Amino acid sequence: MLFFKLLLKNRQALIGLAILSIFILSALFAPLLAPHDPKRRVGGIHQPPSAEHILGTTRLGRDIYSQVLHAGRISIAVGLAAGLITTIIAVVTGLSAGYFGGRIDDVITFCTNVILVIPQLPLLIVLAAFIGQVSPFLIAMIIGFTSWAWGSRVIRSQTMALRQKEFIHSAELMGEASWRIITVELLPNLISIIGSGFIGAVIYSIMTQATLEFIGLGDPSSVSWGTMLYHAQTSSAMWVGAWWDILVPCVAISLFGAGLALLNFAVDEIANPKLRANSAMRRWKKMQKQIARESQA
Amino acid sequence: MRFFLRRLSFYLVALIVAASINFFLPRIMPGDPLQIMFGQQMARMTPETVDALRATYGFTDEPLIQQYFQYLGSVARWDLGLSVREFPKPVSEILREGLIWTVVLVGSSTLIAFTLGSFLGLLASWFRGSWYDSIATPLSLVMQSIPSVVICLTALFIFALGLGWFPTGYGYDPQLDPGWNLEFISSVAHHAVLPVLTLVVFQMAAFMIPMRANMINLLGEDYITMGRAKGLSSSRVLFQYGARNALLPSVTTLAMALGFVVGGSFITEVVFNYPGIGYIMFQAILSRDYPLIQGHMLIFTMVMLIANLIADLLYVILDPRVRTGSGDA
Amino acid sequence: MSALLEVKNLCVDYITDQGSVRAANNVSFSIQPGEVFGLAGESGCGKSTVAFAVPRLHNPPALISSGEILFEGENILHFNQQQLQAYRWAKVSMVFQSAMNSLNPVLRVEKQFADMLMAHGYESMKACRARTGELLDMVGIHPSRMRDYPHQFSGGMRQRIVIAIALALRPKLMIMDEPTTALDVVVQREILQQINDLQRELGFSVLFITHDLSLMAEFADRLGVMYAGQLVEVRPSQELLRQPIHPYSHGLTQSFPSIRGPIQKLTGIPGNPLDLTKVPDGCRFAERCFKATDLCREQEPQLIPHATGHVACHHPISIAQQEMSHE
Repeated sequence: MLFFKLLLKNRQALIGLAILSIFILSALFAPLLAPHDPKRRVGGIHQPPSAEHILGTTRLGRDIYSQVLHAGRISIAVGLAAGLITTIIAVVTGLSAGYFGGRIDDVITFCTNVILVIPQLPLLIVLAAFIGQVSPFLIAMIIGFTSWAWGSRVIRSQTMALRQKEFIHSAELMGEASWRIITVELLPNLISIIGSGFIGAVIYSIMTQATLEFIGLGDPSSVSWGTMLYHAQTSSAMWVGAWWDILVPCVAISLFGAGLALLNFAVDEIANPKLRANSAMRRWKKMQKQIARESQA
Repeated sequence: MRFFLRRLSFYLVALIVAASINFFLPRIMPGDPLQIMFGQQMARMTPETVDALRATYGFTDEPLIQQYFQYLGSVARWDLGLSVREFPKPVSEILREGLIWTVVLVGSSTLIAFTLGSFLGLLASWFRGSWYDSIATPLSLVMQSIPSVVICLTALFIFALGLGWFPTGYGYDPQLDPGWNLEFISSVAHHAVLPVLTLVVFQMAAFMIPMRANMINLLGEDYITMGRAKGLSSSRVLFQYGARNALLPSVTTLAMALGFVVGGSFITEVVFNYPGIGYIMFQAILSRDYPLIQGHMLIFTMVMLIANLIADLLYVILDPRVRTGSGDA
Repeated sequence: MSALLEVKNLCVDYITDQGSVRAANNVSFSIQPGEVFGLAGESGCGKSTVAFAVPRLHNPPALISSGEILFEGENILHFNQQQLQAYRWAKVSMVFQSAMNSLNPVLRVEKQFADMLMAHGYESMKACRARTGELLDMVGIHPSRMRDYPHQFSGGMRQRIVIAIALALRPKLMIMDEPTTALDVVVQREILQQINDLQRELGFSVLFITHDLSLMAEFADRLGVMYAGQLVEVRPSQELLRQPIHPYSHGLTQSFPSIRGPIQKLTGIPGNPLDLTKVPDGCRFAERCFKATDLCREQEPQLIPHATGHVACHHPISIAQQEMSHE
């Protein structure tokens, strides 16, 4: 609980949490907040922001404000789902490799190393291309199942470090079952790494989803931030001066990513106090300066 | 030497895995792979043509295992099949034309990002807690979590369309003939500025953040303190005692990060119509040119493996503990 | 004879999120030219903090908040960066605790001599190499090995290399921060013997930090005992070890076997080291002291002259008493 207390005291974490909650709430209540149906023509072609359409309209005359709210639902859901799959696989493989060692470790480490040298995006593109136009659900699945290697590696090395600790040795000597040692002794000590790994995976998934959809491998009839960009790009929005059509999904993705990044930064700082640029450092600087001044005088 | 042989055999296995994915993917998809590849065109073909195509792409009635080894054999000969869109141009030939552009783009931006990012991370660790550190560090993390699509589109909109400082696309002025003359080279450089810059922005944090963390951990090491005790100047301690040791883990991430950069460069090429293999891939996706898409993945895997090999070499140069073999490290 | 090093009322604070913690409080002592001064105490008592203050090597969050450190009469706390760099190593060199980690793993040994020599006036690489060879020879390492990397040497050899680097500029004071704790016992003896011989031969002063009092008996001229950031007793080492006056020093001498003396029962000191975030008003040792009275708990004892040295205690153990118990 100390962890959450520290989190709430951290400025970056607060800004991040505020951004994230605004996005998640507005996505949850999109049907209530959005004035129009995101998939219907409700205005003229490429109309600039106005009182009626506060963020303008698209080439097909759809209300961008309504779209961006609804798109958040899919984009955030895909990010969370893919992040969850990634994290679960990373934790299971990383923990077992680090804890059991030996043959199990060899096999898992080999697999993670191979996945790490095969470039992610081209692999995803090949997969997506053969599957055809990929629904958001499938996108979440293929991102989730291909991007766990890095997290698995980090968790493995942490587990190996923890395994050397005395409390694990003593638990083993007392004859506790492996599953109990893993869940009761190891997992709680890995929670901050798993947490920051999860946030990182969500960031990555949202970025990748947007990328795949932007190049036309997504399902163009679904409304997400990535497909909004895709439609804006294919309708040459930027070239005809309809900057709002491009700008709105860009800002949405960036803000959400920034919120996650700030939160992750805070989690890292709390987990590694050494890295903190905290108030004590500032106080140290001030005192050092004062002493220097006094000794000059 | 043993170290290198071990790494080399690992890279070979990784390449075979990538090739195997390419081989099995069309075969496990429901339906006739040729049908997926050629779509409607199939209806207009004579049975003989279809059979010939089947033989060309290796979708024969032979046992799967035989097909598999034939495929691996042709990959080993760098025969990646024929493009569908530009039939019968070989995939390897199409990709070769784009490769140089991509290598220059990715290589130069990674180099810049590595140097700049490591340096900024070094400064952040040295001036930890200063205003610079408390702004630059979170800011670079935020930049890293913005998709490259967004960075590229923004850069394109502001600096090319808006301010008109840079061209909006392509690798060089198409009115010029490619050649080793000043006009052409400066045109290439001018066209490369925005793509390179966007990639630098995209990657920088990946080098800056670990560098800062490594340095902060290192500053407590005895040999750093001893360096200071010896009366060396701060910059000497910072670079020769701190940075060189802090860079070691960065070099291993360098190769890993490249996989990430490859994704970024793909988007950069698409947004800026840059004539590298990413853009070729994009065209291939639009026209569902599967052999080309698959060839693209293989060639990127190769690029990754070569980059990893370079990183291994670099590590050996930087860390004498690996080079001289013995020792407790 | 004026002192080489004089530390006066030195206070070092650790600045944390929760507030400041004073790791060294009002520490005063001096070292004469050619003298070996030992500083002993449990881990965390502040002895290394004092050692690091002398060449001003502290990193944040440690901060020298007040006091004076006079080296040959000059207050080094007033030095600017340039003066400090010139003073470090040329006047005061240092041998660190961990032999394994005090050499830069990615630089050749000769380079680690050369960068220091160049920073202090040597001009050519050739001159540096010549000096490096001399120094390595002095500590019993063949000069041809100067082109090797640190990991190619054993722990004991690395520590001798560090000692050779420390001797390079003929400093007047060498600080040794538990230089042998990371080594095995046989190597420990060898290294100590070597330091001892070199000190006799070259005549530099030594500030020797250790938690192992038995090392001090033969080596140190005078000994300071620290507890919870404060000096509690400073006396000639033989006397202090034979007849400690402060109850804490007494406890320390009882918890180590003496090498030559009669066989005695080893007794530890009851209780745990003081938590520096909760410093009492009175004597810091009162809680664990067998002689403590209400006076000790209320009033802090000052370090005052006593017998042949200085002691901070309201109820010093009288020397006569100890003579009795010995017989």
